[in-house]
Amino acid sequence: MMVELLAQTGLNAIYAASYISLIAVGLVLIFGVMGVINFAHGELYMAGAYAVVALYADLGFPFLVAIAAGLVFVGMLGLAMERALFRPLRDNPLGGLVASIGFLMVLQALAVMGFGVRMEHVPPVTQEVIVFSDKVRLAVPRLYVILAALVLLSALWLFLKKTRFGWALRASAQDPEAAALQGISITQTARIAMFIGAGLAGIAGALTAPLVSVNPHMGHSVIVTAFIVIIVGGVGSLEGAVVASVAYAFVHTFVTTFWDGVIADIVGLSLMLVVLIVRPTGLFGTADRA
Amino acid sequence: MLLEVRGAAVNYGKVSAIREISMNVPDGGIVTIIGGNGAGKTTTLRAISGLEPLTAGKIHFAGERIDGLAPDRIVARGIAHVPEGRRIFPELTVEENLRTGAFLRRDQASVEADLETTYLRFPRLSERRRQMAKTMSGGEQQMLAIGRALMARPKLLLMDEPSMGLAPIIVEEIAGIIEEISQDGVPVVLVEQNAELALGLADYAYVFETGSLAMEGPSRELHDNDHVRAAYLGI
Ligand SMILES: Nc1ncnc2c1ncn2[C@@H]1O[C@H](COP(=O)(O)OP(=O)(O)OP(=O)(O)O)[C@@H](O)[C@H]1O
Ligand SMILES: [Mg+2]
Repeated sequence: MMVELLAQTGLNAIYAASYISLIAVGLVLIFGVMGVINFAHGELYMAGAYAVVALYADLGFPFLVAIAAGLVFVGMLGLAMERALFRPLRDNPLGGLVASIGFLMVLQALAVMGFGVRMEHVPPVTQEVIVFSDKVRLAVPRLYVILAALVLLSALWLFLKKTRFGWALRASAQDPEAAALQGISITQTARIAMFIGAGLAGIAGALTAPLVSVNPHMGHSVIVTAFIVIIVGGVGSLEGAVVASVAYAFVHTFVTTFWDGVIADIVGLSLMLVVLIVRPTGLFGTADRA
Repeated sequence: MLLEVRGAAVNYGKVSAIREISMNVPDGGIVTIIGGNGAGKTTTLRAISGLEPLTAGKIHFAGERIDGLAPDRIVARGIAHVPEGRRIFPELTVEENLRTGAFLRRDQASVEADLETTYLRFPRLSERRRQMAKTMSGGEQQMLAIGRALMARPKLLLMDEPSMGLAPIIVEEIAGIIEEISQDGVPVVLVEQNAELALGLADYAYVFETGSLAMEGPSRELHDNDHVRAAYLGI
């Protein structure tokens, strides 16, 4: 049945959009507030997945505990990156980028040393499936990812629009020096952005760990997707990152289902090029960052 | 003295921007810094706010040394700065801009009250509360920048060329606002290229030339000084 196939593919796309947007939004937040492109973002996602491997699959803690630990652990990795790499290189965005590439390799090496290069098997959290019809189903672990993205991104939106530290974050993204003249500590906003951005990547990795193959190089494909998405959305625009994540996920999932995955990758990249030609600042981008 | 600058120097790389600058700002009234392009006026204000490190000299505020502190710590001591070019946050609303000015204040009730006072002082900001700041005119943006700085309830207000690029009628309005701020008890350091305006407003003036202090004195005296008249007042 065509309708059922379309519905099922739509559900798959919503799932993909959910974890892609968690990763892309964190990347954009870090870029907006700190002005650096965090190439290690995919490895933060990977670190979140390994938190679940270690705590849930190997040590038998409840899945929720492993998720929370993944969020906090990867958030702290973000804080460590801010302190050790980005703060000393604050006036040197290229230096920050290179340092983040170095950190990416360190994290990959640590994952290999700690867990080996093999793919980790994470037992499913639940076998439950929501059955809409014979051919339209949604595995409950995927539903968790969708719900987590909805809740976390709404919470982030409320934080940025309604709280004092949210205004401070947006102000320092728009003009760090003018923000400092309002008494906003640039170091503090950088730490907040880094913790949230890294934490979102970590929780995306933790939540998807039972659904994907966990290995030390799993960050690679998500970072490529995230870069496409933030370029299409307009580098620096959080709304753009979400919209572009949804658009990319739908296009990619539908093309994969109806043709194949390689064609989907090519279509995704081509769409990015078209957007860049028609609107070089991306869909929601302005000349400024954030 | 509320603010004392002693022998301050700032370099950009190897280039000296200001040297041997000493200034006093009393706890009340308006002090102005006038001078031509590149004289070092902006650099001096930036040094006071901690945006540029001193290569020599000291700055004391309310009896305590502040050079070397981070900009946000200097704001916490009570110095607000309306920067050159206004530097409002373009993608925040007018009200969000004003609230960032009160970032360090914890007295929520009086912040709300001050917000209303600001809207009374600048009715045009009131009409545009929910508008993105970037959509406002130059004069409105300058008023927003001033309003934002006042939201900090500063003990000293630094203003860098508030008249820049504005129509004469708006400049007059801004001049009135500066006088009002001073009368409300907030001392002001006013940097201006518009020497006529600045000397008219200020009690005391410093004249900068290529990074050094060329002259200082009560504004009225400098206004009558031949060199100042020839170089800055075009008379
Ligand atoms: N970021 C910078 N890097 C290098 N040199 C700078 C920088 N900012 C200012 N300068 C130089 O320092 C000197 C003082 O500049 P400053 O901006 O303080 O002057 P100003 O009196 O504010 O001038 P204007 O009235 O044009 O604003 C000038 O020679 C200027 O070229
Ligand atoms: Mg200047």
